[in-house]
Amino acid sequence: MKHSRGNQPLPVLPAASPARRNSFWKTALQQRWLYLMSIPFIIYVFIFNYLPLWGWTYAFQNYKPHLSFSEQQWVGFEHFVRLFSDDKFYQVLRNTLAMSFLGLIAGFTIPIIFALLLNEVRSSFFKRFVQTVSYLPHFVSWVVVASLVTTILSVDGGVVNDLLMAIGIIDEPINFMGKGSWFWYILTAVDQWKEMGWSAIIYLAAMAGIDPELYEAAKVDGAGRLRTMWNITLPSIRSTIIVLLIMSIGHLTTIGFEKQFLLGNNLTKEYSDVLDLYALNYGIQMGRYSFGTAIGVFNSVVSIILLLVANGVMKRTTKESIM
Amino acid sequence: MSRVNRRAFSRMSPGEIAFEVFNAIFMLCVVVMTVYPFLNVLALSLNDSLDTVKGGIHIWPRQFTLENYKTIFGYETLIIGARNSVLRTIIGTILSVFCCSMIAYTLSRKDFQLRKFFSVFLALTMYLSAGLIPGYMLIRHLGMINTFWVYIIPGIVSAWNVFIIRSFMDNLPYALQESAKLDGANDFTIYARIILPLCKPVLATVALFVAVGQWNSWFDNYLYNSSKIQLTTLQYELQKILQSTTVSQTAPRGTSVLENMARVSPQSVKMAITIVVTVPILVVYPFLQKYFVKGMTLGAVKA
Amino acid sequence: MKKAVRLITILCIISSLLVLAACGSNNGKNGNSASNNPSQNSENQGQDGLKPITFTWFSADPVSNWNNMQDMVGKEITKKTGVTLEAQFAMDANAIPLMIASGEYPDLISPKGDAAKLVNAGALIDLRPYLEEYGPNLLKVYGQYMDRLSWSKDDDAIYILPSLNAVDHQYMDIAGAFHIQHEALKATNYPEIKTVKDYENAIKSFLEKNPTTADGQKRVGITFLADGWRIMIGVTNPAFLTTGAPDDGEVYIDPETYEVTYHYRRPEEKEYFRWLNHINDIGLLDPEAFTQKEDQYKAKIATGRVVGVIDQDWGFQDAVNSLKSESKFEQTYAHFPVTLNENYKDHQLQSSGFMGGWGIGISVDNPDPARAIQFLDFLASEEGQILNNWGIEGEHYYYDDQGVRRIYPEVQELKNNDPATFTKETGIGFYGISARYGDGVKDSTGNYYTTKWPEQVIENYSSVEKETLSKYGVNRWIELWPQADEFPVKAWGAAWDLPVPSDSDYAILAQRMQEITWQRIPQIILADPSEFDALWDAYMQELINNGVEKMEDEFEVYVKDRVELWGGKVN
Repeated sequence: MKHSRGNQPLPVLPAASPARRNSFWKTALQQRWLYLMSIPFIIYVFIFNYLPLWGWTYAFQNYKPHLSFSEQQWVGFEHFVRLFSDDKFYQVLRNTLAMSFLGLIAGFTIPIIFALLLNEVRSSFFKRFVQTVSYLPHFVSWVVVASLVTTILSVDGGVVNDLLMAIGIIDEPINFMGKGSWFWYILTAVDQWKEMGWSAIIYLAAMAGIDPELYEAAKVDGAGRLRTMWNITLPSIRSTIIVLLIMSIGHLTTIGFEKQFLLGNNLTKEYSDVLDLYALNYGIQMGRYSFGTAIGVFNSVVSIILLLVANGVMKRTTKESIM
Repeated sequence: MSRVNRRAFSRMSPGEIAFEVFNAIFMLCVVVMTVYPFLNVLALSLNDSLDTVKGGIHIWPRQFTLENYKTIFGYETLIIGARNSVLRTIIGTILSVFCCSMIAYTLSRKDFQLRKFFSVFLALTMYLSAGLIPGYMLIRHLGMINTFWVYIIPGIVSAWNVFIIRSFMDNLPYALQESAKLDGANDFTIYARIILPLCKPVLATVALFVAVGQWNSWFDNYLYNSSKIQLTTLQYELQKILQSTTVSQTAPRGTSVLENMARVSPQSVKMAITIVVTVPILVVYPFLQKYFVKGMTLGAVKA
Repeated sequence: MKKAVRLITILCIISSLLVLAACGSNNGKNGNSASNNPSQNSENQGQDGLKPITFTWFSADPVSNWNNMQDMVGKEITKKTGVTLEAQFAMDANAIPLMIASGEYPDLISPKGDAAKLVNAGALIDLRPYLEEYGPNLLKVYGQYMDRLSWSKDDDAIYILPSLNAVDHQYMDIAGAFHIQHEALKATNYPEIKTVKDYENAIKSFLEKNPTTADGQKRVGITFLADGWRIMIGVTNPAFLTTGAPDDGEVYIDPETYEVTYHYRRPEEKEYFRWLNHINDIGLLDPEAFTQKEDQYKAKIATGRVVGVIDQDWGFQDAVNSLKSESKFEQTYAHFPVTLNENYKDHQLQSSGFMGGWGIGISVDNPDPARAIQFLDFLASEEGQILNNWGIEGEHYYYDDQGVRRIYPEVQELKNNDPATFTKETGIGFYGISARYGDGVKDSTGNYYTTKWPEQVIENYSSVEKETLSKYGVNRWIELWPQADEFPVKAWGAAWDLPVPSDSDYAILAQRMQEITWQRIPQIILADPSEFDALWDAYMQELINNGVEKMEDEFEVYVKDRVELWGGKVN
């Protein structure tokens, strides 16, 4: 840890002084450039991200798009009560959280390990080549990937089953895509296959910022490759990892539905239906804007709670945070 | 790292050699696994569309043809779409990277008075979603419907990118700014002259994310500009062709209606258009790659 | 942190106030424009003849290969009417709701199932006054069915001109849901195939003697596609088709009392699912039937190793085309009206009458509704319909010595071999957006309006197909089916076509039932036969627990309303 730049004590500019009010304006004047650089964006963010939030009022109305605001019928928490008393909601919530957590665990180990190992590749050409190839699947649509996966895992001549049978692990082909309880794991694995290279880019960029002198020093100390990776590379990208982790935790309930929908089938529905699909099916697609918005509000509230918790925990334990 | 590279193999311990071998094999496996889906799309796009139905095509076309590509290049809107896609990608990326990094810089200044407020204010935007209709109404009130700017302006500030850049900046030595400050440089100069050049790896990464995002987005085109053919984008044209099948979600009951829906563009044509739309953005990567494959020599800057 | 939160709260409050103010004033404006009187502005409109005009047209269905009316037929239509359409296509379910929220409408709208949302928002004008004056051809085509165009029991306005369903359409051929390879029939000496047992036995006995194809691939007994909504086509619809019920979507409607039953709850259908369970048990059903995706399914059929397919023919047309392109005609399919047992009659040819339904409407923002009606009227005229179906005389078709309309061979060849280029260049088939006649209806010259008629259907059969047909003593597959005149016309049209408010309790319940059914049916079919009854009972109970009876009752109201609207009697 001692090599990490993130933990170096940061010099703090003089802030607290006896005449507080005066010094506040004095500092503000000193920071006029910073103000100039941020205030336009504060206004921008307010307009584009906060203004539209008046739409949350839909969740408490029986919203009809052609009526004006004053003509809408207000219903209080009716849509939330409906949502929370629906068994299906809890099923899709369970699936969403399960796949999110698996995704979080896999998404924060596999790409990092891959990036660490790739960083150790000596040949610059080979390194670039592997990197370029590994990010290609990110650009292949889920429709294509889902079809490839079903073919590979097919009972009838699928590569995986043929292989397992050939080396004698199984006697009979396994119907991978027909086992509901396996779905979460298959989806997570496929997701990593598709996104590993793409996710690793950010860690590689962080590694590129590491001061080579640190490696030199480690070499002088006689540290091996694995040791260097553990003691220098990993701590140096720590803050990037934590920032990404905090931001991802906030998104646990919003994971989209496309990949689950395309990879799943009617045998796996119990495990593959997720919250976003539920919101689509029971919300806007039925013209139930208010119900759809209620799910959106629920998502936002949960997200922000998760974000604050993650941020707080990280701040306390690692001194890193985004806010 | 360059000096590390120059170390001769002969001086490596057996453990090191084992590591090298394992690593090389692992990377080869990764290459084989990840290149497959893309090659598969490529092979399908070059295969006769009727023959494609039979399946069993992996990385090599069975009945080679360029017909699928001919079909695609027959769409006149492709040129307009390509122009707009390139424009929005370039303009959008430059503006977004500039703005996000500027915000990130102000937020990385631990002494900045608005730092706390702006961090929270910005972070929450990642999780607050107002829904489609309010968003649409806002754009309408701002008069941005049927304009090119709707591709650029609403997406310029991404909280996610800001925090990524900031976490990188947090790791930069503060001493550099100190000395510049003493030289009388203002905060903008420090940001532009000192911080930005040091952030190349992360800026390249964010630029890649923004560029890919810009290139791949079609929903804003559909939502705000679908009635103006002059503003169409490549990705939207692709979606129009792909969508001819994916109506499954809204499929009504009753067979005679469904018959209409099963009429699809042949799979091979879809794969060809996927290639046409994807390859240009893939080219961007190698250009940016040099910034994060080779390490920056921070030491040099420091001295 | 605390401070920041407080600031944000204040900003939010201010912002919402600002927006509310802005919104209120805007919506008031929209409200007014929606209530203008259509007949008022028709006075001095419609007289402009051929003065060029551009209408924006929104279609909820993307038209693939749409060429902005620069195709041959499109140019001809513009020449005749002065109208150019500027099309916008929906890409997702949000299109119409957003349109309503914005309060700005395209001139012409083909909303598919979303018409009710537009009508509720006052976005569509009543076309009745215009039809009398500017729509003689429209009136002629809809003819006796005009009363089926009325919106509802309480509102007899005409908002939508139906175009999806063609008037007086007759089936020229039918393929049904049960298909079996010609070579299997030949090898088993063309057995009688009337019941699922016959079907099963033919496939089973063929498989026993021929477990692999000539090129050594393992044969598959019966397959279907059950991914997503296709489960309805391949798995659940055959349950009512084999048990003597017509296609009313997910419900069965008693023709006497109009009582509605969620069709899975009919006791006879349980036996169909028991049969599916049985063929799975004896290994006749493809083990991948419930997990395969569309392309694997088609690929499997295209190899020629699938003996029996349960699906509608359009579901695996690509695969059959692929077989034909390799001259593997023996491995293409024969079609039969299979039922559960001899007591049931296949109802697929039962007539629903003209169903009205989805079509095109004119919005309140249309600058010249009279011209729009004249445009749609032209498309509905004999000239317009022939133009859309056949193309341009001397270019795409000609009249032979006997006055029979024929397509030029080279045009036909392009149509068969490169349909994308064909439609894109000619535009034939793009403009069926107004009233139109179906197959089998003849025009004033005694030729068919459409390009499909009995002799033409027979011409397109392969020799293998003709041989099989002759063994069963018929000329077309459709002759194997119980004919339309054996059944009364359904007084309610088709239940799947009923406009039900999308946010009604019925819609929510229907979605829930669909989820349960799509989840349970595959499990029940794949279960051990000894568990079948218990699982089925549990499934039935689950439906009841989730309110299936309430759903049926609500739908019954809609059915009865429509019967009354269409002039039927409800007891």
